[in-house]
Amino acid sequence: MATTAAPAPGQTPTAGGSYAAGEQTGIWSWLATVDHKRIGTLYLWTALSFFIVGGIEAFIIRLQLMRPNGQVVSAEVYNQLFTMHGTTMVFLVIMPLSAAFFNYLIPLQIGARDVAFPRLNAFSYWVYLFGGVFMTIPIFFGAAPNGGWFGYAPLTTMQFSGGLNIDFWVIGLQILGISSLAAAFNFITTIINMRAPGMTLMRMPIFTWMSFIVQFLLILAFPAITIALVFLQFDRFFGTQFYEIAAGADPLLWQHLFWVFGHPEVYILILPAFGLASEILPTFSKKPLFGYNVMVYSGIMIGFLGFGVWAHHMFAVGMGATADTIFSMATMLIGIPTGVKIFNWIATMWGGQIRFTVAMKFAIALVALFTIGGISGVMHSSPPTDLQQTDTYFIVAHFHYVLFGGSIMGIMGGIYFYYPKMTGRYMSEKIGNWHFWLFFIGMNLTFFPMHFSGMLGMPRRIYSYDVGQGWETFNFQSTIGVMIQGLGLILFVYNFLKSKKTGAVAPGDAWGAGTLEWSIPSPPPEYNFAQLPVVTSRYPLWDLKHPEMTAGLAHSGPDAMTVTDSHATPMHEETEYKNAADLGIPMPFPTIKPLFTALFLVLMFSGLLFIHLDLFPVALTIMIGCAAAFVGSLYGWLTSPLE
Amino acid sequence: MATAVATAGHDSHAEGHGEHVHYTSTGLENRKIAVWAFIGSECMLFASLISTYLIYKGRSRVGPWPHEWGCKTSAAVAKTRELLQGCSPADVMKPILDIPVTSQSTFVLLMSSLAMVLALAAVETKGTPLPAGAGWWDRCLASSKFWLMATAVMGATFLGYQSYEFTSFVHEGLTIKTNLFGSSFFTLTGFHGAHVTAGVLWLLTLFAIDVKRGLKGKTDVLLVDICALYWHFVDVVWIAIFTLIYLIQ
Amino acid sequence: MTRTPHRRHGAGFFVVAALLALAACSTQDYPNTTFTHNSDLNVDVNALWDRVLFMATGVFIVVEAILVFTIFKFRAKPGAPMPKQIHGNHVLEIVWTMIPVFILIPLAIPTVKTIFKTQAPAPAGSLQVEVYGHQWWWEFRYPQYGVTTANELYIPTGKTVNFTLRTVDVLHSFWAPGLGGKRDLITNKTNYLWYTPNADLAEQVFNGFCTEYCGSSHANMRLRVYTVKPENFESWAAHQKAGAEGSPALIAAQKTADSIAKKAPAKAAIVPTPGGAPSPPVMNTGYVFPAANLKAHNIPRTPIPASMKFDDGLLAQGDAAAGHALVTNPVNMGKAPCLTCHLIRGEQAFLTDDNAKGPNLTHVASRHTFAGGLFPSNPANLARWIKNATAMKPGATMTTFGIGEYSSLMKAKVTAGLTDKEIADIVAYLMTLK
Repeated sequence: MATTAAPAPGQTPTAGGSYAAGEQTGIWSWLATVDHKRIGTLYLWTALSFFIVGGIEAFIIRLQLMRPNGQVVSAEVYNQLFTMHGTTMVFLVIMPLSAAFFNYLIPLQIGARDVAFPRLNAFSYWVYLFGGVFMTIPIFFGAAPNGGWFGYAPLTTMQFSGGLNIDFWVIGLQILGISSLAAAFNFITTIINMRAPGMTLMRMPIFTWMSFIVQFLLILAFPAITIALVFLQFDRFFGTQFYEIAAGADPLLWQHLFWVFGHPEVYILILPAFGLASEILPTFSKKPLFGYNVMVYSGIMIGFLGFGVWAHHMFAVGMGATADTIFSMATMLIGIPTGVKIFNWIATMWGGQIRFTVAMKFAIALVALFTIGGISGVMHSSPPTDLQQTDTYFIVAHFHYVLFGGSIMGIMGGIYFYYPKMTGRYMSEKIGNWHFWLFFIGMNLTFFPMHFSGMLGMPRRIYSYDVGQGWETFNFQSTIGVMIQGLGLILFVYNFLKSKKTGAVAPGDAWGAGTLEWSIPSPPPEYNFAQLPVVTSRYPLWDLKHPEMTAGLAHSGPDAMTVTDSHATPMHEETEYKNAADLGIPMPFPTIKPLFTALFLVLMFSGLLFIHLDLFPVALTIMIGCAAAFVGSLYGWLTSPLE
Repeated sequence: MATAVATAGHDSHAEGHGEHVHYTSTGLENRKIAVWAFIGSECMLFASLISTYLIYKGRSRVGPWPHEWGCKTSAAVAKTRELLQGCSPADVMKPILDIPVTSQSTFVLLMSSLAMVLALAAVETKGTPLPAGAGWWDRCLASSKFWLMATAVMGATFLGYQSYEFTSFVHEGLTIKTNLFGSSFFTLTGFHGAHVTAGVLWLLTLFAIDVKRGLKGKTDVLLVDICALYWHFVDVVWIAIFTLIYLIQ
Repeated sequence: MTRTPHRRHGAGFFVVAALLALAACSTQDYPNTTFTHNSDLNVDVNALWDRVLFMATGVFIVVEAILVFTIFKFRAKPGAPMPKQIHGNHVLEIVWTMIPVFILIPLAIPTVKTIFKTQAPAPAGSLQVEVYGHQWWWEFRYPQYGVTTANELYIPTGKTVNFTLRTVDVLHSFWAPGLGGKRDLITNKTNYLWYTPNADLAEQVFNGFCTEYCGSSHANMRLRVYTVKPENFESWAAHQKAGAEGSPALIAAQKTADSIAKKAPAKAAIVPTPGGAPSPPVMNTGYVFPAANLKAHNIPRTPIPASMKFDDGLLAQGDAAAGHALVTNPVNMGKAPCLTCHLIRGEQAFLTDDNAKGPNLTHVASRHTFAGGLFPSNPANLARWIKNATAMKPGATMTTFGIGEYSSLMKAKVTAGLTDKEIADIVAYLMTLK
C-alpha cells in the first residue's frame, strides 16, 4: 500500500520493466495467447504497421497531386491507392488502434482480470489480422480494391467492375465485420458484468464509458453494412439483382445501408480518442474531469443521434426538400453534445496545474483540431451550402480534421500516455516533442489548404487536375505537409521501438493518474490485480494518495450496498509481481484454436474468389474444406476447458 | 475505504458442477449478456433485410409478383385475374405468395416457442420429485428431452415448409435471379431459414447432451436458457416477416 | 516542456484571416471558385455561406482563444499546491449547452428556407436541358430545340435553365462551381437542378466537373458551361439543330430552303440569322463562342502521352471528302465503324441519341474540347485520339484504330485498322462538322 506521490520519470520503481517469473515468452506465447493485454499489444503493433502502409499510400497520393497533371502513378493505380488509403485507415488502423486500447485498458480500468470471453477476444484479433492481410495483399498485384472506401453501387457491380478488385474489398470487409462484432459482444459483456466491486456505471473511467458506447454503435451499425455487402456479394457471385441497373435497382439502397453504418462509424472512430483525451487531460491538469456526468450523457447523445443523421452524406442525391431538412436539423443537433465536450475539456484544464508532456500536447491538439473539424461539420450540415462542398476537397479537409486531428491525435496521446503502463518504460519525451510538432504542423499544412482547394472547385478522388485551375498552391502545400508528417511518423516509429529497451523505467503509477490501471505494476502482471479492489470513487488512486482533496465529494466514498468477492479488498496500490499460481488465481489456458478458427474462416471466404476465376470446383472444394476445418477448430475450442 | 469485505460471496454462485464461478457485477452469467447483445445486433440485421424488401416492393420490372397477377410475355400487372388483360392463359403468372400454406408453417413455428418454454421449465425443475399420482402428462412435462426434441422437430417442420415453398416458387418461375422481388424475398427468408437451421442444430446438440449426461443444474439451465432466447427471437422475427411480407399487400 | 504552447495557434488565426481574405478574392486567380454571385442559386447559397462562415469563424476564434488562454494561464508552476478539485458546475454546463443552440438557430432557419426555395420545381418556361452521364463524358440534350451535344453546354444569360439529370451507367454528379451547387446523376432516378445565370453576366466559360467517383477516368469527366447572350444562344441552338455539314439531309434541306426562300423570303429561314435576312446557304452561320475569348483555364492542357506518335504533316493533306466516305459509306463500316457508336445527324442513321454509345458528332468541330473536356479540339489531338483513345484517356471505351497501336481493350496490337493518312482524312472531315 504505497502512498508515495507520483514519481517523476526516471525514478526506479520496485519491479518496473521486468516480467515476473512464469511469464511466457517466445512466438508461441503470442500465437496462443488469450491474455487481453497481449492481444491489445498485438492489435497495437498490427494497426501501427497498417498505419505505415496507409501512410505510404497517402504519400504517393500526395506526390501525384503535388503538381497539375501529375504523372507519378496511373489513374488505375491512383484509384486503388485512394480506395485502400480510406479502407486501411478506417478499418485497419483507427478501429484496431481503438481496439488495442479497448483490449488493454477496459479490464484494467474496471478492475477485472480479463475480458469476459478471452478466447473470443483472441479470435477477434486473428480475424482482423488475416482479414487485413487479405485486403492489403492484392495491392502488390495491382488488383487492390478500386471502388472507393464507400463502394457505391452500381460502380461496384460486375457490370462495371469485373475484376477481382472489388471482390477483395467486399469479402475483406465482411471478414473485418466479424472481427469487430465478436469483439463488441465481448466488451459489452465485460463492461456490464466484470466491473470490480463498487465500480458502478457512473464511476467507470471515462475511456471505458466512451468504449462502452462505441461497442453499442458497433453492434447496431455493422449489421447494416453487413447486409449491404451481402447483397453486393450475392450480386457478384450468385447473380441476384439488388444493384442491377437493368432490373430497376435503386442505387440509393446501397447508400442508405452504407451510411446507416457509415455515420455511426464516424463516432466509432472518434469516441475512443475522446475517451483517451478525457483520461489524459485530468491527469496532467491534476484535476478531475469537469462535468463527468455531462461527458457521459453527451457521449450517449452523440451515439444516439449518430443513427439519425446518415443521409447528410447524401444531400446531393435528390432526396427531396423534406428529407434534406430533417437530416440537416438532426445533424445540427449533434453539434450540441459535441460542443459541450469541448467546453468541458477546457474547463477541466481551467484552474489546473498543466504539465505539457507529449501525451498532454496530443490531447490538447485533439481539442484544438477537432474543434476545427466540428465547425466545418456544422458548415456542411446546411444542404444548400453542402451542395457546393460535398465531394470536394473541403470535405477531405473536414474529415481529416476529425479523424486525424481528432482520432489519430487522441490515439497518439494515448500511446505516449499508456506506453509506460504497457512496457514499464517511458517513451522519449524529447523525440516525442519532435514527433508532436512535426505531426501538428504537418497536419495543418496538409489539411487546412484543402478547405480552400475545395471551396475553389477541386473535386475529390481525381487522380489529376489541369493547369491553371487555381489549385496548384494549395496542393503543393498539402504535399509538403504530408512530407512533414512522414518525418514525424518516422520519429514516432523510432521512439516506439527504441524506448522499449532504453526508455526511462516507469513505476506503476507512471504519471500520477487516478484510475485503477495505475494502481498495479507496469507492465501489469498477467493476472492484473492480485486482489480485486473495492472501488469507492471515480479516481480511486487519487483518493488513496490525496484523501484530503477528495473528501466530501459526491461521487466518492463507500456505499453500503457494495457486493464483493472473496478476492476483493479495499482499494490499494500493488507494486509487486507474483506468480498467478502462487496467488491461487486461475488463468485461462493459452490456446491456438482461436487462431486456426479465424484462419479457416478467412480461407473459407477467400474461396469465393475462385468463382470469378471460373474455377467453380476449386471454389467449392476450398469453401467446403475450410468450413469443415472451421467447424472442427470451433468444436475443439468450445469443448476444451477455459482454465 | 471501510467497505465490508464479504467473504461469503461464493456460496450463491457455486452451484452447478462445483466449478469456480467468477464474480459478476450483475449476478448474471456473461454468456447471457452476450446473447442479448447478439440479439440486439441481429435485430438490425433483419431490420436491414426487411427494409430492403419493402423498399424494393413494386420496383420489379418483370414478374412473378408477390400479390399481383402478371404476364410472362408483357409487363402487364393487375390486382386480380379478371383485371389482367391481353394475356393468354398460358402466360398468366399468379400471385406467388401462398398465405394459407405459410400460415400453417407460421403456426408450427409459434408452437415450437411454446415447446421451448416447456423445455426450459423442464430443465429448471429437473431433480424436483414428481408429485404423487403424477400422470403421463406430468411425466411428459418434466421431460426436457421430449420438449427439446419437439422444438427441434417443429423447427425442422418449418424448414420443410420453407423448402416446399422455395421449390414451388422456382417451379412458378421465381428464382433469386429473376427480379428484385425474388432477390430480396429469397435473401430475407433464406437468412431467416439459416437462423432456424442454426437453432435446430443447437437444439439437437442440447438434446444430445441431455441424452448423454442429462441437462441439470444452474450451468445447464443457462445453456438451455440462451438457446431459448435465441429461438424466441427467431420466432419473433418470423412474425414480423410474415406480417410485413405475406399479410400486408 | 512548457515552452510556448500558445504559439501553435498563431497559425490558426493566420489561416482564418486568409480564409476571409480569400472569400473576397477575385475569380481571376481562382476560376472555379464557389464564392460567386453569377446565378440566383449561388446568390442564395452564398448568403447562407456568409452567415455560416461568420459564425464558424466566430466560434473558432472564441474557442481556440479560450483554449490557448487556459493552457497558457494554468501551466504548472514549480511548488504550486494541488489545484482545487472541481468536478463540474451545473450552471456553467447548462450555459454552454445552450450556446450552441443559440448559434445553430440563426443558421437553421435560413437553411430550411433556402432548401425549400431552391428545391421547388423550376419555373414554367425554363430552358430544359437533359443531362446524361456516361463513363466518362457528358451528353446534353435540349428537347425544346432538338439539339444534342457533348461536354459543352450553352446556356443563355438571364433565363432559367432546368437540368434534368440522368445517367446511363454508374453514378455521376453535375457541378459547375461558378454557377451553383451540384446534383447527383442517379441510376434509375431522375434528378433536377435549376438556376438562372444573371442577365448581366458577361459571356464566359465556366469549367465543370463530375464530382461523384465513377471509375477509372472520373478525373477526366469535365465539362464547360458557356453563358452567352440569349440571341447568341438562339443562333447557336438553331445551327446545332441542323444536320451535319455535307450530309445528304442537310443538302436536301438547303434545297428545300432555297426553293421556299424563292417563294416567301420573309419566313423561310431555317436558321434565324441576326441580320434577319435569310441568307442561304445556312452552313456555318450559327454562333460559336469565339476561341479568342477563351480564358487560359478554359483551355485544357492535358499532356499527350509521349508514346503517341502521329505524322502531323499528313494533317494538312487530309482529304475531307475521302474522310466523309470512310465514315459514312456503309462499304467502309468494317474499317471505320464510327457510326456504330456515334451519331452524325443527316448521315446513315444506324442510331438514335438513346442508343448511341459515343458523343453526338453532328457539330463536333463547333466544340472547343473533346473527350470529356480533356483535350483542345484540334486536328492533331483528334488524330491521336482516333489512333489510340485509351492511351490518351484511361479506361476510354473507344476502339483503338491506328494500325500497329496496342489496344488495351483487345489486349493486342491492332492489325486491321486505319493508316495515319486515313485518320488524317477522317479528321479533315470531322473538322468540317462546324
